[in-house]
Amino acid sequence: MEEVTATVVIEGAGVGPEVAEATTAEKKGFKVVVAVDDSEISHYALSWAIDYVLANRREDCQLVVLHVQHFVETFMYPVAGHAVYAPTLSIDAVRKAHEENSKRVISRAVDICKSKHVDALTAVAEGDPKDAICEAAEKLHADLLVVGSRGLGMIKRAFLGSVSDYLAHHAKCPVLIVKPPKGSHK
Amino acid sequence: MSTSGSSRGEHIVPEFDAEKVEKGLFHQAKEGKITMVLAFDDSEHSFYALEWTLNHFYSPATGGGMGFQLVIVHAKRAMSAANVSGPGTSAEEVLQDAEMDQRKLAAKTVEKARAICSAHSVEAVVEVMEGDAKHVLMEAVAKHHADILILGSHGYNSVQRAFMGSVSDHMAHHAQCSVMIVKRPKPQKGTKKQTHKA
Repeated sequence: MEEVTATVVIEGAGVGPEVAEATTAEKKGFKVVVAVDDSEISHYALSWAIDYVLANRREDCQLVVLHVQHFVETFMYPVAGHAVYAPTLSIDAVRKAHEENSKRVISRAVDICKSKHVDALTAVAEGDPKDAICEAAEKLHADLLVVGSRGLGMIKRAFLGSVSDYLAHHAKCPVLIVKPPKGSHK
Repeated sequence: MSTSGSSRGEHIVPEFDAEKVEKGLFHQAKEGKITMVLAFDDSEHSFYALEWTLNHFYSPATGGGMGFQLVIVHAKRAMSAANVSGPGTSAEEVLQDAEMDQRKLAAKTVEKARAICSAHSVEAVVEVMEGDAKHVLMEAVAKHHADILILGSHGYNSVQRAFMGSVSDHMAHHAQCSVMIVKRPKPQKGTKKQTHKA
C-alpha cells in the first residue's frame, strides 16, 4: 500500500551534511538515537535521555536526533472512492508544509540539546514512522534507540503508543521507552 | 513526589508548562545517583542484558558508572501446594523440598549475577524477591525509586507472547519508570561469506 522509503539525510546541527561521520560511528563510544516528532513527550524523552542516559559522560556519547517526516501521498481518495492523482501543486504544497514542520521539530530538538550543552547530529527520514525509525537506527548503527512512550495520539487509556510498541519488538538494537512524568502538574 | 494510585493504570496526560518547554527545561538533572533496576533471571537474555549494561554504563571507558546505581532483581517463584502435590505424595514434605530447590536455584542465579558484576569491578545491589516476575519488578521499581528498568528480551513473536506472556511487554506498558529493553542481536543471515565492500 504505502511505499516505505526510509531515506535518511543526516546533518550536523547547523553545519551541513555529514553523512559519513554519522554512519561510521567510530568517533564516539555510545551512539544514542532519539526519535522525535511533534509530540511534547518526544521532546521530553530527548531531554530525559540527555539527563539520564548521557548523564555526566557526554563526551563519550554521540547523540543523534531522528525525525521521521510525514509521508506525502501521491494520490488521494475523495469521497466517491476512485483514486485520483493529486495535482502537482497541492503535492508540493503539502510537502512544503511537512518540511516546515520537520524544521520546527528539529530546531526545537536542537535547542534542547544546546541548552544542555550537547552536540547532537540530526537525521531526517521519510516514510512510515515505525519502519523508518527501525531502518534509520540500523543505518546509523545506534547503540540505543530512545522513544517516548506515547506520541501524537495521546489517548489516556493507551499505556504505550503503537510506534513505541512496534519498536520495542522489532528494533534490532536496545530500545529505551521514556515514560511521562508521574502525576499531573499542579 | 506523590505517586497516583495505579491499580487501573489510568495515565494522566501530563500538562507541560509551555514556557518551560520553550526553554527546554522539562526538569532538572537528577541530584544523586540515577538508579537502574535490572531484571535478572537465569537466561542467556538476562546475561546479555547485564553485560551490555555494565559495558555501556559502568565500564572505565564510560566513566566507571559514576552517578549510576545498579540494582539487580531476581524473581523467585513462590512454591505453593498446587505446584507440587500429586497422587500418593505428602504435600508437606514435597513442598519443603521444592522450596529448598527453588532457594538453591535462586542463590545460584544470584551468584552468577554477582560474579558478572565483580568481573566488571562493579558493586551492585542484588536482590531476590519472591513472586511473579511482573509484580516483583513493579515492586522493585517502587522500592528503589528506579529511574530506569532494564530487561532482557526473549524476542518472542506475537503468538508466543499471547500464550506465554511477556514480562518486557508488560513492563513497557505498565512500569512507572522508563523501560530499557536490551535484545541480543540476531545472527545476520548470509553475512559470513559476504566480503566487505569499502
